[in-house]
Amino acid sequence: MSKERVSRRQFLSYTLTGVGGFMAAGMLMPMVRFAVDPVLRAEEGGDFIATSQKVADLTDKPVRVDFTFKQKDAWYESEVTNTAWVYKEGDKIVALSPVCKHLGCTVNWGGDKEHPDQFFCPCHYGRYTKDGTNVKGTPPLAPLDVYPYKEKDGFLYLGKAKPRKEA
Amino acid sequence: MKWIPREIETYLSAKEYVDTAVVPLYLVDIGGQMKESAEAAEFITLLTNYLERQFTGRLLLFPPFTYLTKDASEVVSQKLQAWENEIAGAGFKHIFYITCDLEWRNHEEELNGTVIWLPSMPFEGMNDSQKVTVIDRQVKQLLSLFTKKWHENSLNNS
Repeated sequence: MSKERVSRRQFLSYTLTGVGGFMAAGMLMPMVRFAVDPVLRAEEGGDFIATSQKVADLTDKPVRVDFTFKQKDAWYESEVTNTAWVYKEGDKIVALSPVCKHLGCTVNWGGDKEHPDQFFCPCHYGRYTKDGTNVKGTPPLAPLDVYPYKEKDGFLYLGKAKPRKEA
Repeated sequence: MKWIPREIETYLSAKEYVDTAVVPLYLVDIGGQMKESAEAAEFITLLTNYLERQFTGRLLLFPPFTYLTKDASEVVSQKLQAWENEIAGAGFKHIFYITCDLEWRNHEEELNGTVIWLPSMPFEGMNDSQKVTVIDRQVKQLLSLFTKKWHENSLNNS
């Protein structure tokens, strides 16, 4: 037995502080989690979607990369597959949206035999150069949209396609 | 363009660019062939939607034309001809019908549009990426058919 005896009053105040501390922690923890959550989530990669394309396999020739994500349309949830034309330019990766800026058809790389180094829209014969710039004299009036990209574990991640301002 | 208000709006403002109509033909069976009929409908739906994605700016995907197994094929054909007149009247130069029903082979001559018959494919047990691969392969062949038709027609006009 130790010589310093704990009085009844001291014992009660210790236990009350202890229990009170637990209760306060139990209340505060979810609140802190709740406040911090958006910060934690942003670190996981935001809206970037994984593709099956290895960054190391990319060349200067555009390749078609498909990626799938879930989309909700009113109450109907469906899996949507989007496509990107991806190629390497020096150290940089260029990921272009295949949606024609004229009326929204899907453009193909080298689809026109006379212009094998351009993107071609079969609907109204629109053409874009390799960097996505619309060729003057063809229907499209704006360059192809560009996907922001990320590299993670050797794989390519694509974000939401953004329109470019310069024509 | 799809049969939804937003895209119809685009169609109305860009009519001169949209000269192709695609009408899916659904055979509805409410009897022994119910499941096969549903499988064919799923296949045609996925296929036409994918086709629409490729050629959004030049074709309008109409809501499906549906009929029952027990309907007399002459009557069904006449009804479709009424659709065709209406669609052609609206300025569509190319009309494509996509179906899994072989019966249309016998009525092809009565229609001005092109009937594309495809064997139905059951998607049971396939995951989404497998479905996409199957549809992609089928649509690739259709794409060249479409561009060929467009090309022929532009030669005839010039």
